[in-house]
This record gives sequence, C-alpha cells and structure tokens, in this order.
Amino acid sequence: MESASNKRVGRQPVANKLVQEKSLIIVPAITHVVQSGPVQGSATLTVGKVAKMAQVSTDTIRYYEKEGLITPAKKSHSGYRLYHPDALRRLHFIKHAKHAGFSLSEIRELLMLKNRKDACCNDVQRLAVEKKLQLEQKIKSLKIMSQTLTELLNIGTDKTKPLDQCPILAALERSLNLEKPASREEQENEH
Amino acid sequence: MSIRVEILSAPGCGKCALAKDKLKSVAEEFGPDKVAWREINVLDEIDYAVELGLIAPPAIAINGKLVFQTLPSIHKLREELAKRLCNEI
Repeated sequence: MESASNKRVGRQPVANKLVQEKSLIIVPAITHVVQSGPVQGSATLTVGKVAKMAQVSTDTIRYYEKEGLITPAKKSHSGYRLYHPDALRRLHFIKHAKHAGFSLSEIRELLMLKNRKDACCNDVQRLAVEKKLQLEQKIKSLKIMSQTLTELLNIGTDKTKPLDQCPILAALERSLNLEKPASREEQENEH
Repeated sequence: MSIRVEILSAPGCGKCALAKDKLKSVAEEFGPDKVAWREINVLDEIDYAVELGLIAPPAIAINGKLVFQTLPSIHKLREELAKRLCNEI
C-alpha cells in the first residue's frame, strides 16, 4: 500500500510538490503542538501532509478512514480531505498498537474505549492480556511447526534422490495415512 | 486424591474479585482434603495459561484442564466438583 502511494507522490505536479515542501517547513511547529495537547483554531492538514508527517501512505490513511479509525475534520471547497493536527497523534497511536499486534478492529475498540466516559484502564488491560495470550498461543504453534520441520529435515540428506524417493515427502505421506480413519473392512479385521 | 481447581484471572479485574470469593467458598464446602483451590495471575504464569489454551481470562481449570472458559455460576461449579468426586469414589 505504501509503495503505491510513493509512486503517486512521484507523479505529483510541481505545484503539489511545492505545497508538500512547504508542509515540511512547518513540521516542527505542528509536532510541538500535537505533543502539547489539542490544537486550538482552525489549522488543518491535507492528507498528503498528514501522511508524510506520520510516515504512512495516503492510501493507508484512506483505508483507516474507511475502517472508521480516523476522520477528516472537514473537506476543502475543492473536495480535499483536511485533517486536524490531532489526527497525527491518532495515527501514531494506531501505528504503536499495530506494532503490539492489535488488529484494526481491536484498535478501533481501543480508540472507542478512549472516548468512553465509563471506561477505565482495566478495560484496556483486559484487551492487552487477551492479545498477549493470543500471541503466545501463536508462538507456541509456530514452535511446534518449526520443530516438525526440523524433524523432517533430519530424516534424509541425499538431495539427489528423485521425488518419489524423497524422504520428506514420504514422511508427510505417512503422517497423512496415520490421520486417515480406518475403513469398515479394516475395523472388522482388527476385531 | 483431591481435585485441583485453578482460577485464572488478570490483575485489576473487578468482577473477578467478587466472583472469585463466591466460587472459592464453593470449593471450601468440600474441604481442602477433597478440593484444592489455587488462584493464578495469568501474567505471572503465562506459559501455563497458554498450555491450558486460555484465550481470555477469567477461566477455571480443573486438574490441569480448562473446564470453564468463563467463570461459572456457583451452582455449576458445585455440580462439576460433586460429579468428579463421585466418579473418584
């Protein structure tokens, strides 16, 4: 998604590039305002500026908007989305939450909790504990998969053998046979 | 042999604290020689929680198996423990 946006930036007309270069000049001021609290007044940023400052693509911002994670403050007369500088803080929040493994729907839940008056830190902690358990379960499954591959790789080392003699494939075939339920005939023979 | 009941919860869970006391009293009705009660903070014993297959606390494991994915009513827990003790005899 981000690479597509970079290509788009490359195709931008000179006038737009100039606007973006100007936006870089105001970055320190805006960043300072964002860090110190909500901005007063009507300062707004275009999607391109917000994307650059948050180091995400414009497509990402549009996707987040579609997913209800971010909304533009207003639209310009020409129909361009304009964002309040607070949107940057929200984008950083989303990025950090993604790094912690939260899905976009979970991030939406976290953002909703932030706005709920009756919510407390315990609600956030509950989500964090559940996410940690999910991640640990995934790690456990991945370790089992990795161990299975190690066992398969230890079976044989002769790489020149034809496919029908490949010990890894044979081992996988054997495991398939083990998982197959026995036919009625086989069950009767056992008795 | 006694039954091992473990309640798995995360710190700061308000509703768990209330429910835990009620459920603990059910376990105590059977006596410590028959039912052993243990409270587990999932953050302290995350490996064990994962081994049990816990998805979201609070939950109850009995004899090392996750039996209640959410906290049961005191009636359900009493019934489960009575059934297991009956099977042991």
